[in-house]
Amino acid sequence: MTEHEATSGQDTTATGTESSSTVFVRAGAGGWGPGLTLRADETRTKVLSVTGGGIHPVAQKIADLTGAEAVDGFNTTVPDDEVVAAVINCGGTARIGVYPRKGIPTVDVYPGAPGGPLAKFITEELFVSAVGMNEIARSTSDGEVESAKGTSTAEGDGAPGGAASSGGAVPPRGDRPSASAVAATLPVGGPLGKAFNAVTNVFVGFGSAVGTFVNTMLAAGRQTVDLTLKTILPFMAYVSLLLGIVMYTGVAEWMGQVLSPIASNPFGLLAISFVVALPFLSPVLGPGAAIAQVVGTLMGSQIAIGALPVQYALPTLFAINGQVGCDFVPVGLALGEAKPETVAVGTPAVLISRMITSPLAVVIAWAASFGL
Amino acid sequence: MAQQQPAQPETETSGGVLGVFEWLGTHFIGLFEEAGSQFVDLVTGILPTLIVLLTFMYALTTFIGEERVTRAVQWCGRWWITRYSVMPILALLMLTNPMAYSFGRFLPERYKPAFYDSAVSFVHPVTTFFPYANAGELFVWFGIANGVTQLGESTVPLALRYFLVGILVIFIRGIITEKLTAFMIKRTGRSEVFADFDRQFEQAKAGEKA
Repeated sequence: MTEHEATSGQDTTATGTESSSTVFVRAGAGGWGPGLTLRADETRTKVLSVTGGGIHPVAQKIADLTGAEAVDGFNTTVPDDEVVAAVINCGGTARIGVYPRKGIPTVDVYPGAPGGPLAKFITEELFVSAVGMNEIARSTSDGEVESAKGTSTAEGDGAPGGAASSGGAVPPRGDRPSASAVAATLPVGGPLGKAFNAVTNVFVGFGSAVGTFVNTMLAAGRQTVDLTLKTILPFMAYVSLLLGIVMYTGVAEWMGQVLSPIASNPFGLLAISFVVALPFLSPVLGPGAAIAQVVGTLMGSQIAIGALPVQYALPTLFAINGQVGCDFVPVGLALGEAKPETVAVGTPAVLISRMITSPLAVVIAWAASFGL
Repeated sequence: MAQQQPAQPETETSGGVLGVFEWLGTHFIGLFEEAGSQFVDLVTGILPTLIVLLTFMYALTTFIGEERVTRAVQWCGRWWITRYSVMPILALLMLTNPMAYSFGRFLPERYKPAFYDSAVSFVHPVTTFFPYANAGELFVWFGIANGVTQLGESTVPLALRYFLVGILVIFIRGIITEKLTAFMIKRTGRSEVFADFDRQFEQAKAGEKA
């Protein structure tokens, strides 16, 4: 702690050419989080830009102000302990949690908020969203103490983040008070005590098994309700509004007239599947499966009004989803601890593969949908 | 635009300015009533089953434990047949999207892109029977399934086919991406680097066994 304060003190008193200084990033309009204090040091020297299309200006500005180097996360991977902060553009639910889970401070340029399966890792200490160029500022002397605290929490969170990778929502058994440990404190001795101990152990064992069971179920329920409130219900609200509008205004039928000739013939579907898999389109169409979900819902409304025959539902499911995960290739590979060289050859391999396999999937699905 | 048939019900309206407002009022609120009834359909139709199913599956994966699955996944990673079929499915069912891709760490570098491609392509077919595995992106499947339900037909035959065709597609996709990765390695002159990675992987594995 004192070391941090000392070094940051030096930095602010040094001349304008200092190599490392503290930057405060606050949430923009509609953003989430009280803000992050970022600082580069000897090991943390990179600002990771995981936005696609080169280095995001926000990442560049943070890098410039902290004296770190901005790195394009789509071309290279950087060891987690070298990252000052990750800059992402995720309004969805997947990427938003990946870096906070690793304990890396995360700056979202979109107004994202905790949600999705990794919501519990997206904390105030690690996440800030809706960040534009104006939300990044060199830290004032007031924020200095805070900054030292900020960096130390970020560093401290790295270890539990890694340790949590093996645990689910339930705290590890070691964290809970062990029933047998409690029982062992009972004052018993002699042969009678031994028998008593054996009986007690059976009951304690049974009791703790029931306890584990109930706790696990309860944690699973809590996780489910969390996810329902934070992700599923909001999506249902938005999908209902969309469906309500297209159904009530008659747009659904109008769309049906345009779409059904394309969607109810195998060649139209093949064309869709090829277009969404084009290497320059697929990473753009991917994030949060937002587009596939909206198109899926709209196609569903077409099936409901009879504009699209049910037997085309299966090839449609594959046609509208040829781009699945194309936005996520470097992040997904990084999760699998892939080396930078693997990301360099793997990203184009996946994108090119889609141009072949996406239409192929439609053909297979079309062949498999006879008799539906 | 002219041939567009208006779907909204024609209501009795008085003429004049007031009539315009009446028309606006009726349709403004009518729009949201329609949206609201769609919401009720979704919430009552999907949510109750989904909540108990999610709870059950989360508890089950906790009981099974990641370690046991890890061993099965490592075993699956050795052969090309299981690497792009059983392995991604197990990874998704156990770790769910997006952590499933972390099982790529059990594979040599050259197979990681293909495994990722295979696993990520299954995140929507898996939602048919195991929605918990990708609960944040349910509407690719549910959107279409909802339409089928509204026709009064069962979604199970479609779900089953989507799931099975999904397995076939991720298998083919894995193999093709593996070949393309090999091609890219050669094309970019990284054959030596990846041969090195393979050796390191073998050494690490031998080190684990010893």
